[in-house]
Amino acid sequence: MSFFAPGLEDAFRTAAAELGMCSASRLFVREAASDGPDAVAELSDRLGRPFPVLDAVAAAALEGAPLRGVDPGEVLATLAGLRRLLVAGFEADFLDALVRALSGEVRVGLVRTAFLEGDWERIADNYAGRLELVEMAAFAGWAGPRSGLLTFLYGVEGAVTHVAPAWLRVAGDDVRPIFRELVGWDVLGRPMSLYPRWLTEVPAGSFTRLA
Amino acid sequence: MTFAAAATTAILAATVLLQAAWPARRLVLVASGAALSALVVSLSGVSTTGRLLAGVPWDVLVLLVGLGLVTEVLVASRLFGLLAVRVARATRAAPGLLAFVFVLGMYAVSGVVNNLTALMLLLPVVLILFRLMGVSQRYVTWTLATLLVACNLGGAATPIGDFPAILLLGRGAMEFTEYLVRAAPLTLAALTLLLAAVFGLARPARGLAATPLSARLTVATLSAFHRGVRLDRRALLSGLLPLAGMVAAWLLVPASTGVGPELICWIGAAAALLGAGRLGERLARTRVDVEATLFLLFLFVMVGAVGETGVFRDAARLLAALPLPPTAQVAVFLVSSALLTGVFSAGPSMAALLPVAEVLAADHPPEAIYVGLALSVCAGSSLFLTAATAGPLTQALVERAGLRGEDGAPVDLGFFRFAPVGLLGFGVTLAVALVATLARL
Repeated sequence: MSFFAPGLEDAFRTAAAELGMCSASRLFVREAASDGPDAVAELSDRLGRPFPVLDAVAAAALEGAPLRGVDPGEVLATLAGLRRLLVAGFEADFLDALVRALSGEVRVGLVRTAFLEGDWERIADNYAGRLELVEMAAFAGWAGPRSGLLTFLYGVEGAVTHVAPAWLRVAGDDVRPIFRELVGWDVLGRPMSLYPRWLTEVPAGSFTRLA
Repeated sequence: MTFAAAATTAILAATVLLQAAWPARRLVLVASGAALSALVVSLSGVSTTGRLLAGVPWDVLVLLVGLGLVTEVLVASRLFGLLAVRVARATRAAPGLLAFVFVLGMYAVSGVVNNLTALMLLLPVVLILFRLMGVSQRYVTWTLATLLVACNLGGAATPIGDFPAILLLGRGAMEFTEYLVRAAPLTLAALTLLLAAVFGLARPARGLAATPLSARLTVATLSAFHRGVRLDRRALLSGLLPLAGMVAAWLLVPASTGVGPELICWIGAAAALLGAGRLGERLARTRVDVEATLFLLFLFVMVGAVGETGVFRDAARLLAALPLPPTAQVAVFLVSSALLTGVFSAGPSMAALLPVAEVLAADHPPEAIYVGLALSVCAGSSLFLTAATAGPLTQALVERAGLRGEDGAPVDLGFFRFAPVGLLGFGVTLAVALVATLARL
């Protein structure tokens, strides 16, 4: 007897498109865990290989590590003094916590790229006007000595880490000098054990700050 | 038949056929058809372009644009997305119950806003739910096709729900209350019969695998999508209060005051946009449905040109000359109207058929003829997936959603998949229209 109906992969893909891979994984694992470890194991068996971030989140749950709330304290410290923060890539749980913790004086923008298939207007509506959607063409307008660029990392392993492809659209060599900080926030906290589909490998050293 | 009559009729028929066959060029086609019709009546001395333009029912266009803008203010309040989350929670994402509630919701919403808007409000969130809960081809076909039929029925239920009823209201053929009191119960009866057949006999969710955990995941994910979305109370009040005021004025202000339904709508829309502040200005500049407005304007010019040549009077005379009792003649008219709408869609059919109905209304109770016509057009709109603009739009949205069935095969809503439910909706609505109309004669 399966815990899940057919179509689980489509359901996860839909959730990940609008919440982010890690946030969707946390939601699915949390719901499955309320039916017991067998449900988490089945979730991991069915979706782990196509979605390695979910595999890592489920593995942590099966090892007994509880899903904790998000603490933005460390990343807040790396953003001290900034007045504009532009985010490439999306993780709902983490951006929610960060936006709540940031001073109202900091403008927060989310780069609108083709990689996310969610409803952008609804994504922004969740932030009560605090999150601005920024087109690629307007991206340079956010640069400056008190501006930072942030993306989410999916585990750091030695000198490399993995990011959403959206990061590659904004973080070229010409971008480093025009933003004060290029911040990578590790939302997974452990390296992935499977081939990181959907993500791109970048040097961890390409960020000015890691959190 | 004169040359002008034959030529304008041929232009109207050819244009309507061409725009149905080639929807990507429909606006240019009707613009060209209207220009050609004006040229024919001008050169033949039957009429002038000025007279054709003066004959355009501008009040109908004001109603369409005004109601569209009030709807946009309501949409900006985010009310409908939040309602969908509540529905998913209340039904615990049970597929059969969800489908039933959404069909009822579509009927209710379509009565207040135009059909396309109603569809655009509900369908995206319905499709997200489908992706989250997992569906079968059968479930998608029956649920979405029934939604479309309910959308047509809701549109015909009130004088502001869809173009045919708006045309009756705008041209003064019927008053607001008169239409509402006669049409709403009939559409509700048709909806009840439809729901009984679909959910009692066909049962869309039959055979669909569902588990408690998957249902919980569906609700949790949809809730997470709206975790911080808040109702924009200002936009909601800016839309709802003027709409309530408009309905009250339509019900209470007598025609003898000279304040017609179009002026009430105009004032209501202006109040809604003013109340919404900067949002109102942005909506007025960017959200007027220019395509639909121009399409109808050109259509009215073409129909007006045909009317100037006397074709509609002749058609009504032909109908009256049929060797049938008067009730049978009305039945022939209603069935023909439904079939014509199935092929040509509601806008062109209603615009062309109303002048014939006006002649019939001289010999029969007018309200019975007009409501019968509106319901027949509603039935025709449900006959084929292509009979109303909402059909192809739904088809495109379903394709874009990339739904897959339990076996992993792509799920769609094409012409032939829609056909059984469309025929059912057509049959039920037309039967109600015929019984109700003939009983009043």
